[in-house]
Amino acid sequence: MNQSFNITRVFLFIKRDLLLLRGTITSSLAVAAILIFLFSIFNMIWDKQLTSEEFVGIFTLVFIPMGLLFSFALFREFSSPKTNHLYLALPVSTSERLLSKWITATLLYIVTISIIALAVGFIALLVGGILFGANLDPLALFSSSYWSIVGVYLFIQPIFMVGAMTFAKNRLVKTLLALGLLTLGFIVFHLILFGLLNGGFDVMPKNGMASVSFIGADFSTVGRWFYGLLFGPFMLVVAYFKMKEKEV
Amino acid sequence: MLHIRDLYFNYPNQVSVLKSIDLNLDTGNIYGLFGKNGEGKTTLIKVITGLLYPKSGECRFDNIPTSQRYPSVLQEVFLVPEDFELPAVSVNTFATMNSKFYPNFSQEHFDSLLKEFNINPLKTIPTLSFGQKKKVLIAFGIAVNTSLLLMDEPTNGLDIPSKSQFRKVMAASVDKGQCIVISTHQVRDLHSLINHVIILDDARVVLNQSLQRISEVLWFGRASGQDKNEIVHSEGAFGGKTIVKRGEKDESEMDLELLFNGVLQERQTINQLLEHA
Repeated sequence: MNQSFNITRVFLFIKRDLLLLRGTITSSLAVAAILIFLFSIFNMIWDKQLTSEEFVGIFTLVFIPMGLLFSFALFREFSSPKTNHLYLALPVSTSERLLSKWITATLLYIVTISIIALAVGFIALLVGGILFGANLDPLALFSSSYWSIVGVYLFIQPIFMVGAMTFAKNRLVKTLLALGLLTLGFIVFHLILFGLLNGGFDVMPKNGMASVSFIGADFSTVGRWFYGLLFGPFMLVVAYFKMKEKEV
Repeated sequence: MLHIRDLYFNYPNQVSVLKSIDLNLDTGNIYGLFGKNGEGKTTLIKVITGLLYPKSGECRFDNIPTSQRYPSVLQEVFLVPEDFELPAVSVNTFATMNSKFYPNFSQEHFDSLLKEFNINPLKTIPTLSFGQKKKVLIAFGIAVNTSLLLMDEPTNGLDIPSKSQFRKVMAASVDKGQCIVISTHQVRDLHSLINHVIILDDARVVLNQSLQRISEVLWFGRASGQDKNEIVHSEGAFGGKTIVKRGEKDESEMDLELLFNGVLQERQTINQLLEHA
């Protein structure tokens, strides 16, 4: 009777979101395609080629900011006091809402923008080949760096999801500010930790900040797990409770 | 169907908006929820819908706390809020994308209600006036056929002909198996619709009676000289509107505005009469 999870409702909710945001999605994808095309062409002007690393760099420039903006757009209805009555009163459970948002903001978004990026990248390669005699190598579009970027996005997206649910106004700016403060806090924490653990062994780095060294060189397995869990699944749990406790 | 027991609610760092609320809402009734501005009508409706959580006490729909927001409960509860914003899609798309979540939605009924309200379903919602948007939401709220339909100030923003249309639509749409709660401070708009009155004052329920019971006990009109000792509440100078003990008098037409004012001023007397007469 009190069935709180129904996969059909999840798909219906995804469909509803896509229908609601179809204008935003279409124009954002068009902007993404144009940006990727232009950056790829500009890149080929200088060295007559588009390497996989260069392409992933261009892709990252568009992929991550656009994904985060898309996450905020997905929660617009949830945050607005004028729309959240109808939204929260819809017969959909919290777990269904969260799963549908996550699927849309990550899986669907990643697949869609990747396909578009690859198609646009390929067209840019063709155009570059014709205009500048650039080296046409479609395989250059596939790279292991792509998967790293997707991995980074999967971990940071839930933070922005929580930000989109926490703040009512200026959500993006406030999320970035909170993230900045959090990063600053972690840097100080790293400095203290590094000093405490290594201070007596005369291994303090001569160049750069200790925290950079700590992050770059001495990032332990424990640290990896800590940040991995903090930015990934833990934030999804926070998002779940934020959504469950939301009142109008 | 809906049971509220000893419910308290307050917004953060504010005094209680709802105190010790006890209510039972049953199917087949249209409840008029009245109160002055800021007396907690909207808050109570939001608590019933599960959009606000009680600070203490409980609000249960079919014995399930509404604050859990279970889909099985939300499928049976629909709220037409006072202030809202609808998405920038066509009326038809709005219905299509939301109706899938309500198993009892009737497209046919929705179409006929839109026709009654003179709304073109192909029009995009942002091109409609606020009153027309409200009609779209009212039509949708009726067409989803939930067991409990809550309307917060439904006639606000409607012009005079639209208010008549609303009453007509409501009267025609009321299902015996439905429970409807209409919250308003414009008591005159609803006198022909409701069969039960709930009045909130000072964050409490000060009257919760069926119109039938009220009509049995109270008489509304201009009192004659011999009614002098039976007057419960009067307005204006001599010869003004009064509420008197009905006694052997013929049934009078209910004056909700007079009843509302009377209850605010003579709460105890009226309640004692209704309970013991």
